[in-house]
Amino acid sequence: MTERIIFYILAFIMIVFSLMSVTSTKIIRSAIYLLGVLMATAGLYFLFNLNFLGAIQLTVYAGGIMVLIVIAILLTHHVGFGLPVPDKKHMILGWLAAMIGITISFFQFTTHTFKPKIGNLDDRVSKMGADMLHYGDGGFVLPFEVISILLLAGIIAAITIAKGGIPHLKKRLKSGQPTTVSSSTKKQ
Amino acid sequence: MNWIDIVTIMRDEWSIIGILILLLAGEILVDKKQLSMLIPIAIGLFVLHTAMSFIPGDKATLFGGMYRTNEMMHFMKAILNVAVLIILFQSYDWVKTTLLPNGMANAFYMLLFAVLSGMYFLISAGDFIMFFIGFELSTLPIAAMAAFQLKEMRSTEAGIKLVLLAGLASGIMLYGISLMYAVTGTLYFDGFLSAYYHEPLLVFGFILFLSGLAFKISLVPFHFWAPDVYEGAPIAITSLLSVVSKAASVFILMILLLTVFKDLSDAWKMVLYILAVLTMTIGNLFALRQTNMKRFLAFSSIAQAGFILLGILAGGAVGAATVIYFVLIYVFTNLGAFGVIQAIKDESGKEDMTDYTGLYRTNPKLSLVLVLALFSLAGIPPVAGFFGKFFLFSAAAGKGYYILLIIAVINVTISLYYYLLPIRAMLLRTSDTPIPTTKSGNMMRIGLLICVAGIMILGLYSPVYSFVLGLTQSWL
Repeated sequence: MTERIIFYILAFIMIVFSLMSVTSTKIIRSAIYLLGVLMATAGLYFLFNLNFLGAIQLTVYAGGIMVLIVIAILLTHHVGFGLPVPDKKHMILGWLAAMIGITISFFQFTTHTFKPKIGNLDDRVSKMGADMLHYGDGGFVLPFEVISILLLAGIIAAITIAKGGIPHLKKRLKSGQPTTVSSSTKKQ
Repeated sequence: MNWIDIVTIMRDEWSIIGILILLLAGEILVDKKQLSMLIPIAIGLFVLHTAMSFIPGDKATLFGGMYRTNEMMHFMKAILNVAVLIILFQSYDWVKTTLLPNGMANAFYMLLFAVLSGMYFLISAGDFIMFFIGFELSTLPIAAMAAFQLKEMRSTEAGIKLVLLAGLASGIMLYGISLMYAVTGTLYFDGFLSAYYHEPLLVFGFILFLSGLAFKISLVPFHFWAPDVYEGAPIAITSLLSVVSKAASVFILMILLLTVFKDLSDAWKMVLYILAVLTMTIGNLFALRQTNMKRFLAFSSIAQAGFILLGILAGGAVGAATVIYFVLIYVFTNLGAFGVIQAIKDESGKEDMTDYTGLYRTNPKLSLVLVLALFSLAGIPPVAGFFGKFFLFSAAAGKGYYILLIIAVINVTISLYYYLLPIRAMLLRTSDTPIPTTKSGNMMRIGLLICVAGIMILGLYSPVYSFVLGLTQSWL
């Protein structure tokens, strides 16, 4: 019973925070609301006894990724600056799409009988580490290695774009042009 | 499974990642002033890699079912290799003049090869984890490459648009995968559906999953990103997106629908039917109004994707063979068209259709290549495009999709009009300010020659189709 109550509290927090994150016009507030969603997700993991996953969720998402997002916002955006409010037509269409999606999902979830996973979940970290390097049945060495290629590509791409931007930035500084993209220089 | 198996069966992946690491080492070790020597090394190594991929592959499953391959998948990878090779040749001058001074040339090759390896893993995926990682690896680096022309705001815009919309598509797709996992309890393709295909939740998850793939193939109504990104990105990246990325996604879509989701065919046939009609018609109607050559080819490639769906709908070994054959032709045809546009843009900086007026008088060879490519896109015999469409249509007719076929034929007729517009401008009209005679580099010439040879040979030499049919028959 207590589990159930905690679950609904966490779910409520997640729903409210994600709604606020999407609807807020101040980008830094959106980021903080997102933090709430991520923390509540970690809470769900702890509730299900998935302690390692919960800890990862807290350190990587709520910790690492959020700091990155906040720093990126602070570097590129004026914090007090509000985002433009979308016009009525887009708002109505957006809400309509969201409502249809929620209704369909709700119907599907309530009519479907989910089968519980039988057997104890072995969530020892040593087991996970062994699985990560295991290349037979149930091993994850291939996705693990391919993700490293994805990371490598991401790093190369980020460095190239950041480095390639510098000569142009210098040129703009010399000629007295603005160095950031303001709304006036944007393509119409 | 032992280590030798892993090396020999996955030789394509090993070799492309090996080239990638070699280039990375070169970037770190080679002196800044001599970085230009890495360009011929990259192209040379890739030529060897492409040649090697024509050694037939074997049927095998590795890593507990996460990686699987067979002769057909190996041939698909070879098609992608040829396409990337052509892009390498065609972009040589652009890389040398634009990217090299900014120190971005090597990164271009590294990212290109990373994308290609992602496509290999996508095609060979044996479960949804590998599928998703391959999907991301073959999308995200392209977004960075689309923004490579940092001076141009349009290019940056293209990169940001692609990364945002690709993120959205991935999110929808992951949600679909998680719903399907909730029903079936497994992520492996083998035995994925076994007893669950009548569950509505599974169908719901599958539709969300399909939208993610439809985004990547830019099927209507998931096509909104395509024209802007195609127009803003550098031409080499546009051809990568519209040819290689689309080909890889069509391949995996076909593999999944005809094997993993075979039992769901009642659901996906209806969805694909609607998507095919919408994609062909809307792609065509918008292509009619375009004046920028890149945008024009973007909408034409959306319409072409609609035709490909006909082959998947037909299904079976014959349908699969027509899809692969059409994609093979599409690679040479579209890259031929993009190559000419790149050659002219490199030299004169122009890419509007009105600029092409009277091109035949100043650049007869280039305009003939473009005419050939457009004829092939329109499906005029005896060039290859005719047979590609003919086989697709006859496969669909064989399964009784007559109404769809009539819509497709009407669309081919409409497309004939707009494919002939640039041809009329180039051949029949004269202009006071024509594009001056351009002298393309040798690499560009080789790239265009491969395209012309492909278009002609595939149109005149029939054993290729029988070969592809043999591959798909042994697969299904």
